[in-house]
Amino acid sequence: MKVGDVFSYAFGAIRLRKLRAGLTTLGIVIGIAAIVALLAISQGLQVTITDQLQSGFATDTLVVSPGRGGEFSGLGGGFGGGGSDFSLLVTDTSIINQIDDVVTSTPILQKLCIIQSGDQAVTTYVVGVDFEVYSEMYSSTFVAGSGEISFSPDAGAVFGQRVSDPYQNGTIVATVGDAVEIVWTNTTVRPPENVTYSVAVDAVLEEIGGLSIVSPSDSVVYIPISQAQTFFGTDECDRIIVQLSSEDAETIDAVTQAIEEAFGDQVSVSSSTAILNIISSVFSTIELFLAGIAAISLLVAGIGIMNIMIVSLMERTREIGILKALGMKSRSVLAIFISEAIIVGLLGAVLGVGLGWLLANVAATVFTGGGIAAATGQAAASSGFAITPVLTPTVLLGALGFGVVVSVIFAIYPAWRASKLKPVEALRYE
Amino acid sequence: MATPVVKTVGLKKTYMLGKVPVNALCGVNFKVDQGDFLTILGPSGSGKSTLLNMIGALDKPTQGQVLINGVDVSTLNDNQLADLRRSIGFVFQFFNLIPRLSARGNVELPLAIAGVNKAERRKRAEQLLTSVGLKDRMNHKPAELSGGERQRVAIARALANSPNFLLMDEPTGNIDSKTAKEIIGLIKKLNQEDGVTIIMITHDEKLANQAKRIMMMLDGAIVKEVDL
Repeated sequence: MKVGDVFSYAFGAIRLRKLRAGLTTLGIVIGIAAIVALLAISQGLQVTITDQLQSGFATDTLVVSPGRGGEFSGLGGGFGGGGSDFSLLVTDTSIINQIDDVVTSTPILQKLCIIQSGDQAVTTYVVGVDFEVYSEMYSSTFVAGSGEISFSPDAGAVFGQRVSDPYQNGTIVATVGDAVEIVWTNTTVRPPENVTYSVAVDAVLEEIGGLSIVSPSDSVVYIPISQAQTFFGTDECDRIIVQLSSEDAETIDAVTQAIEEAFGDQVSVSSSTAILNIISSVFSTIELFLAGIAAISLLVAGIGIMNIMIVSLMERTREIGILKALGMKSRSVLAIFISEAIIVGLLGAVLGVGLGWLLANVAATVFTGGGIAAATGQAAASSGFAITPVLTPTVLLGALGFGVVVSVIFAIYPAWRASKLKPVEALRYE
Repeated sequence: MATPVVKTVGLKKTYMLGKVPVNALCGVNFKVDQGDFLTILGPSGSGKSTLLNMIGALDKPTQGQVLINGVDVSTLNDNQLADLRRSIGFVFQFFNLIPRLSARGNVELPLAIAGVNKAERRKRAEQLLTSVGLKDRMNHKPAELSGGERQRVAIARALANSPNFLLMDEPTGNIDSKTAKEIIGLIKKLNQEDGVTIIMITHDEKLANQAKRIMMMLDGAIVKEVDL
C-alpha cells in the first residue's frame, strides 16, 4: 500500500471520530503549549537579564568580597561567605591598588534603610562608595540627570532615578535640593537601635535601566564612603570593586590570583564573565526543570493516546479483519495506526506551539505591565524590566518533533497489536 | 492437465471450544478447477465456514495441505499470505463493507492495498460498480444502501483485483429472497460469461442447484458430491 493511501485512510478514520480525536489532540496541545510557553518566557527572561547585566557591568572590573564562598559570594553580599570571620576593610583598597594592572578600586558599604522625605518613605539600599572612583569606573551610568555629583568628602546623597520617582508617575519622593532623613536600624546592639542621618540630595542619576549587582542602579541611594563609615559605625565593607587596565582573560586571572594571595585566600574574586556564566548555567537548569514539568503533561497526553487507541482497536477489530482479508499486509495495518498518531501528534504540536507562543506573550505583557512593581507595593526593588518571549528554532522544531514522537511512541503498542490480529478471529469479532 | 485452482489434501482442523477440542474438519480432500462453480452445502456446524477460511488463507490447517494454484499455503509467511489473499475475492454473509467509505471507496480499497494508483483505481471501481448495476449508487455509503445493493458492492470489491477465484460465504443469507435471486443471477453470469471460478457456501439447496457442482458436508467431512 502506498504511503499517501495509508495516510489518507488514517485521516479518514480520524475524521470519523472527531470529538475523540479532538480531545486526544487537546492533550498534546496542552503539553506542547506548556513547554513552549515556559521555555519562551524563561529564555526571554534570560536575554533580558543578560542584556541588562552586560549594559551595566563593565567587563574590565573585578568584585572582591570577603570569605571563600566561591563565586556566588560576590553576588549581592548575601549569598555566601558564611563561616569566615574575615572582614574586608574600606582601607583594603590601598593593598589592591598596589597590584599590577589595577587602575583603581572603590569599597562598597551598603545597608538597607528607610528614606524619609516629608510624609513619604521608601525602603532601599544606601550604598557608600568613593564617588570619584565610582564615576570614573561607570562614566556612562553614574551620571547626574539633575544636580551635580560632588567629590568632596562632605558631599550630599546621590539618588537613583527610581528612588526619586518610585512609581514612575511623577510622585517624587525627593529630588535635588531636598533634605531627607535616612533611618538605619542597627541590629548588632540590644535592643536594636534606630540611627538617623540627615542629608541633602545633591543629584539624581539619569535612568540607567537594567539589573545591577555592582554597577550603578536606579533603585539605590549613594552616599560618600567616609560618611557611610560614620553613619553605619563600621570600617568593614561589603565588597571592593576593582578596575583593571585590560579586560583580557590573562590580566583578569593574574589580578584575581594576586588579590587572593594578598588577602591570604580569605577573599573571593569574581569577574563579570564568571557571573554571566553562572546566570546562564542557572537558567539552563531552570529551563530543564520547567521543560521537565511540562513534559509530564505531555506524558499524560501520551497515555491518553494509548488508551484511546486501544479502545479504537477493539472497535475496529472487524475492520482490521476485513483489511487483512483484502490482502493488506501487517506492516500496512501498523502504518495506518502509526499514521493516525502522527497526524494527531503533528496537529497537536502545531496548535500547541501557537497556543504556547500566545500564552508566553500574554504572560510577558502581564509581567512587564507593572505586574511586579505593583505587587511589591513599595517600589524599592523594581527596576522596570520588559520580557520579550523568545522562540528559538530549536525550541520550535523540538516541540513539533517531541509532540509527534510522544504520540508515536504511545501508539506503537496498540498499532503492533492491531497488526498482529489474526484475520479469521478479527472477522469473527462482534 | 492444468493445476487445479484449489486443492486440499487430508485437511484437518481442530480448535478448542473452551477446554473441549472440536474437530471442525476431519480429512477433507477436494479440488476445484479453473472456471468451476462449486457450492458447499451443509447445516451449520458442518465445517463449511472453517473450510472456506482455509481456502481463503485466513486460517491455517491443523493437518493436511491447502494448495492454491499448486502452492502449499502452510509454507507461506505472513507477507506472502497477504499477497495470496489479494488474488482471492471474498464475499461475506454480512457484507463486511467499511461503513465510512462510499460504495466506490469500498471497491477501491483492495486496489489501494495492492498499490494501484488513484486514477486507475477510480476507473476500475466505476467500471465494476456499473457491471453489478450500481452505476447511480457509487457515492452512497453502505448505510444508505439496501442489503442487495451492499452485497453487489461486496461482489464488485471481491472482483477488484481480478482474483483467481471468488469465495462466497452465504452471499444471500442476509437478504430477502427476491434480491437473493438477482444476486444469484449476477453470480451465475460472472461464472458463465466472465469465466470466474466460484466457490460458494450455502445451506439453501435451491441456491446450490444453480451451481455446476455441489459438495455436501456433515460433521467436518464431505458426504456427497454431485455434478449438475
